[in-house]
Amino acid sequence: MQGWLLEARIGNGNTMRQFIGKIKSWWYLVKQLTQVEIIGMYKKSFLGMAWMFILPILAVIIWVVLNGAGVVNPGETDIPYPAYVLLSTSIWGFFLEAYKSTSNLLTKNGRMLIMSEVPLEPLLMQKVVVHLINFIIPFAVNLIVLLAFGVRFSAMALLFPVSLIPLLLLGMAIGMVVAIFRVIMVDVANLVDEGMKLLMFLTPIVYTPKITASWLGVIVDYNPLTYLIGFSRDLLTSGTLFSPVEYLVFSGVSLVLVVLSFRFLVKSSTMVLERLINN
Amino acid sequence: MSDILLEVDELSKKFCRRLKRSLYYGITDIARQAVGKPVSTALRPEEFWAVKEVSFKVSPGEIISVVGANGSGKTTMMRMIAGIYKPTKGAINYPVPLKVTPVFALNVGLRNEFTGLENIKLKAAIFGMTEAELKRKLDFIIDFSELEYALATPVGNYSSGMRARLSYSVAIATEPDLFIIDEALAVGDSLFKTKCYEHLGEYVQEKERAVLYVTNRIRKVMALANRVLVMRGGRLLQDSRDATAALEYYINDIVGDKMTDDLKEMKLKKIRHFEM
Repeated sequence: MQGWLLEARIGNGNTMRQFIGKIKSWWYLVKQLTQVEIIGMYKKSFLGMAWMFILPILAVIIWVVLNGAGVVNPGETDIPYPAYVLLSTSIWGFFLEAYKSTSNLLTKNGRMLIMSEVPLEPLLMQKVVVHLINFIIPFAVNLIVLLAFGVRFSAMALLFPVSLIPLLLLGMAIGMVVAIFRVIMVDVANLVDEGMKLLMFLTPIVYTPKITASWLGVIVDYNPLTYLIGFSRDLLTSGTLFSPVEYLVFSGVSLVLVVLSFRFLVKSSTMVLERLINN
Repeated sequence: MSDILLEVDELSKKFCRRLKRSLYYGITDIARQAVGKPVSTALRPEEFWAVKEVSFKVSPGEIISVVGANGSGKTTMMRMIAGIYKPTKGAINYPVPLKVTPVFALNVGLRNEFTGLENIKLKAAIFGMTEAELKRKLDFIIDFSELEYALATPVGNYSSGMRARLSYSVAIATEPDLFIIDEALAVGDSLFKTKCYEHLGEYVQEKERAVLYVTNRIRKVMALANRVLVMRGGRLLQDSRDATAALEYYINDIVGDKMTDDLKEMKLKKIRHFEM
């Protein structure tokens, strides 16, 4: 067997069986790095992993308190406004965290990448696994809160996890390109980071897609996240399909982008790593 | 089995002296590559050759020490051989598929708040072991590192020697055909060092294996190497199977100018009258 980096970075053959073989050989690393990252977060705390539940519960309590204090209701939501915002922000967070964790891939793991022969794929896989774990627990808490708000789920809600995949892909696609720029042109990375904050307000998260304000309405109409987030949200709360055609088109676009970005990342990474001198 | 494990052919690598310009070149290179244009292999302003036209072959049983002053291109060359850096020019060929384990910094990936045993697992995974493989080799690692008594202790409480022993033991347990070690060979106290030298000597004899290591310590060259490569300014100046001659050349012709006569004499004496 050749050293795994030589297989991965220089590449020899691309058959499905080899690919599955590679994933198997990476799995132990993915598992170890995931354990270290998740357990490491709470290692020195006495409450330990319980924090994974405490934090989202605290976040929810804040929401409930705000609701009790009378948060302005923009009307026209099918479910109570706080429940709408809670759900929308967690779906937005799913996208944003996918972006954040991938865009830090090279800078966070820089030392490991230039000091040993670890390939990028398992590190990327680990980011996804940690991202999913970090999403699932708070989200389960949120679901309970939604129930408390009187939201009822239909059978279509079972498709909700699958409907999130395009958001994950789009977040990763942007993240992988920004990961390269974070090393060689941090200006771009900073701009995209800031752009993400703006993007949140250009996406129907704290307001509804029915917004009529002229210029914002136009942006919302052309924003892929309107459909990627809206589709998942409606699937869960009303069991209806929100703009399915747009959703499918932007899902396809996300899939293409993630493949292109991955190729770009792998092809450029060696040129970038030799310039990673802050590790 | 092939009689050549690794073939390094006219290997060159350039770097840029200035950070901003280096980043700028990085952007242009990536852009050119993205649109399918060739990436520049000539020197641009502020660039220099970190490694220049280095060629050599590695055969089974060889323990090769790469010697050179700071900035002579040793680590850059090793990183290219390990596949971490891409050569600007030249080629690295492995005639038969090999398992290569490179070690550039022993402590990379270790997590201080985790125990010795947890770090063994982590480190093994970083070196590419699977769970089943680690299971088979765990006893060897614990035994070789002599750390059984400290397995439940957080690595943050280890001494630097203990940390290095842990990492080194995992690295050697990957059983590489080509073991690449950069400034991380023979760690811990003198007893452990001697054990490492003896183990590596037997290790390359067991199967068709080789070791390529970077060091500037006379003792580490004399104790182990059966071939020495001397580098300066990115070029390979000497490739010798006589370690004593190669080191004398290194002291006299490469670093001698910067030494006092007394120091030079002392070093030469150490080489000529070396004892384990």
